[in-house]
Amino acid sequence: MAGFDYKQAEEIRDAFERHQIQYLFIGKSGAILLGYPDTTQDADVFVDKSSVNCERIEGALRELGFDLTEGQVQDLRRGKDFIQLKNGPFDLDLVFAPDGIERFEDAWQRRVDVQGFHVCSIDDIVESKRATNRQKDRESLPRLLKFREWLKKPH
Amino acid sequence: MDFEVDPQTEAQWVEEFEAAARRPLEQRIRYAFIHTYKPVLDDAPFRAFDTMEEYRKWCEDNLPDWLGYGRV
Repeated sequence: MAGFDYKQAEEIRDAFERHQIQYLFIGKSGAILLGYPDTTQDADVFVDKSSVNCERIEGALRELGFDLTEGQVQDLRRGKDFIQLKNGPFDLDLVFAPDGIERFEDAWQRRVDVQGFHVCSIDDIVESKRATNRQKDRESLPRLLKFREWLKKPH
Repeated sequence: MDFEVDPQTEAQWVEEFEAAARRPLEQRIRYAFIHTYKPVLDDAPFRAFDTMEEYRKWCEDNLPDWLGYGRV
């Protein structure tokens, strides 16, 4: 599978807008949208776990080219905490309850919009990585913290 | 968590941030998203977990340590 590209990022943005899905890019993909230079392989999207949002997401994913079985649709509607999709044109992680962030509404208030992409604030991205406390996050956190410091300075 | 990073490395990072800021978003995304095969993780088309704890536990039990998904 080829890497995720700008056109696909736009397709997510536009499909989620059309279906009125409340979402925020999070994780390293969110940081990259904020300007962080690093590499990753999939897009991580924090999705509001409300029932109406979970209902809407199926249509958006089908439009994007994800091949969903009935069982998978049920999982989407049931409001899982984490769904990993590799059955479409690119890899997509749907995170409904990221570590380190209490409520979607709060993260939404703190969001940054980058060319129409809704993105978690750098503080939320850092806190989420910190709370996850995986080896790979621990190793990458110092550089991300430095990026946060740099991002907050006037340029 | 305490991190100690030498000033030279930090200066290098800042240069990288500044260089990235000069690139348009489209280019930044092109440079950033690189697909590399991750064993086990990439071997199923769909996974769903009721809780993040369940997902983290699954990662620790099933993924090779070197992928770095284990909690510290």
